[in-house]
Amino acid sequence: MTGRGITKELLGLIPIALLVAIWHGAVSFGLAPPTLLPPPGLVFMRMAEQLVTASFDQDILATLFRLFAGFLIAVVLGIAIGLAAAVSPSINAAVRPVVRVLAPLPKVALYPALLLLLGFGHESKITLVAADALFPILLSTYYGASTVEQKLIWSAMAAGTPPREILLKVILPSAAPSILTGCRIGLVISCIVVFLAEMITSTDGLGHVLITAARTFQAVDMFVPLITISLLGLILNGLLQAARSYLLRGFPEV
Amino acid sequence: MTLRALIARLAPLLACLGLLVAWQVAALALNNDSFPTALDSIRAIPAILGDKEALINILASLRRMAIGFGCAILVSIPLGLLMGRSRGVASFFNPLLMMIYPVPKAALMPIIMLWLGVGDLSKTLVIFLGVSLPVIYHSFEGAKAVEEKMLWSGAAMGLSAVERLIRIVLPAALPEILTGCRTGLVLALITMVTSEMIARQSGAGNILFNALDMGQYDAVFAMIIIIGAMGICLDAAFERVRKRLVRWSEPQFDIPLSFS
Repeated sequence: MTGRGITKELLGLIPIALLVAIWHGAVSFGLAPPTLLPPPGLVFMRMAEQLVTASFDQDILATLFRLFAGFLIAVVLGIAIGLAAAVSPSINAAVRPVVRVLAPLPKVALYPALLLLLGFGHESKITLVAADALFPILLSTYYGASTVEQKLIWSAMAAGTPPREILLKVILPSAAPSILTGCRIGLVISCIVVFLAEMITSTDGLGHVLITAARTFQAVDMFVPLITISLLGLILNGLLQAARSYLLRGFPEV
Repeated sequence: MTLRALIARLAPLLACLGLLVAWQVAALALNNDSFPTALDSIRAIPAILGDKEALINILASLRRMAIGFGCAILVSIPLGLLMGRSRGVASFFNPLLMMIYPVPKAALMPIIMLWLGVGDLSKTLVIFLGVSLPVIYHSFEGAKAVEEKMLWSGAAMGLSAVERLIRIVLPAALPEILTGCRTGLVLALITMVTSEMIARQSGAGNILFNALDMGQYDAVFAMIIIIGAMGICLDAAFERVRKRLVRWSEPQFDIPLSFS
């Protein structure tokens, strides 16, 4: 089995390697001028160079701070509202139409309004990240909590469990797989949105690095923040996956 | 009972109204120059929609979105279905897609602009990239969950592999695919706005951010209402189409479950 796993991983590396090879080939055969498409070696060298400079590290930290702050707010609010809507019909009646209206709304369009209300600092970006990551988490929590098997709740009630403990010890754990799926989607969205918000207006962060490079036509420096956010997304996704398999140990299928 | 049904039907409208009222109250309470009331913003809408140039801009945005969305669906659904039915194809493409996923597609805009210019082509390409990932993902999941027995019966009745893919896998995965398309639709709108914001040349996003830069705050909020209404209307229209196409499947939640 492990042998098969390794060949599977190797198979997956082929398209990535191919992409880099095509990239390199296009530059070295003169199909694309190096000012528009810098060779991959140069980009990775530049990235290694940048990663040890303090200013680039600070940009990464600023992005990560906004990402985590927004994501955590979205997780807390999303799980709380989702559970409340699944448990109580009256809250459900109030939340459902509002969610139907707000979920398909492109939140980026709200960003100018947030800028005017909350200023150009961290707050407006964190709010935008939270608003975008909230809905997938809320909806998957609601879905997970409202499909809990009724028999489990009845048995807990028959055993004399108070309602609050049913919520925390029966409904929350059995909705956990669905909630974590929602969190994963929310995390990817957070990565995307924090970058966009920083591109629109910012004085630091990875998005700002990209925009500065674009304004001065430094193609190499434009690739570095893009690859960095892609790697950050992969790492965070891996961490969430690890947390998931820890939290869901004992579940039949993770 | 009919009264209750009526209330249930009107609930989204009531929610809209409630949000607008909340906005109005908040704006009156804050009394901030840069935060106009809901009424003021709504009053600014006719001025934008009446302007011929603005209207052409908005329509151009919608056209780019439709082209990008259409192309993305045509490419992504077959790819996702193939990935779902063949382990080899799946493990071939999965890591690449995983790497592209967290990259904000609109952030590719400055680079693509270097190659293709600021015209329609680069914006449509960015929308295409933004839409394809969720559609691929959902088609993949949908095709993976198709019951093996149906495929075996199909094979026993002499359907070729391609026919099985079109006549068994595609319909069986359709509900899941349409969920992906719905997510993609919202993403197309988001990518459209952001791409136009970066390449300030034409389009709805351009109007929005130009108004912001020039400090015309009621126009900013009016544009937000217009774009939001576009999102809600497109979503509602798609939901109708979806309900018709998958009438046979189990009743699903009327709110999209995934938004990535």
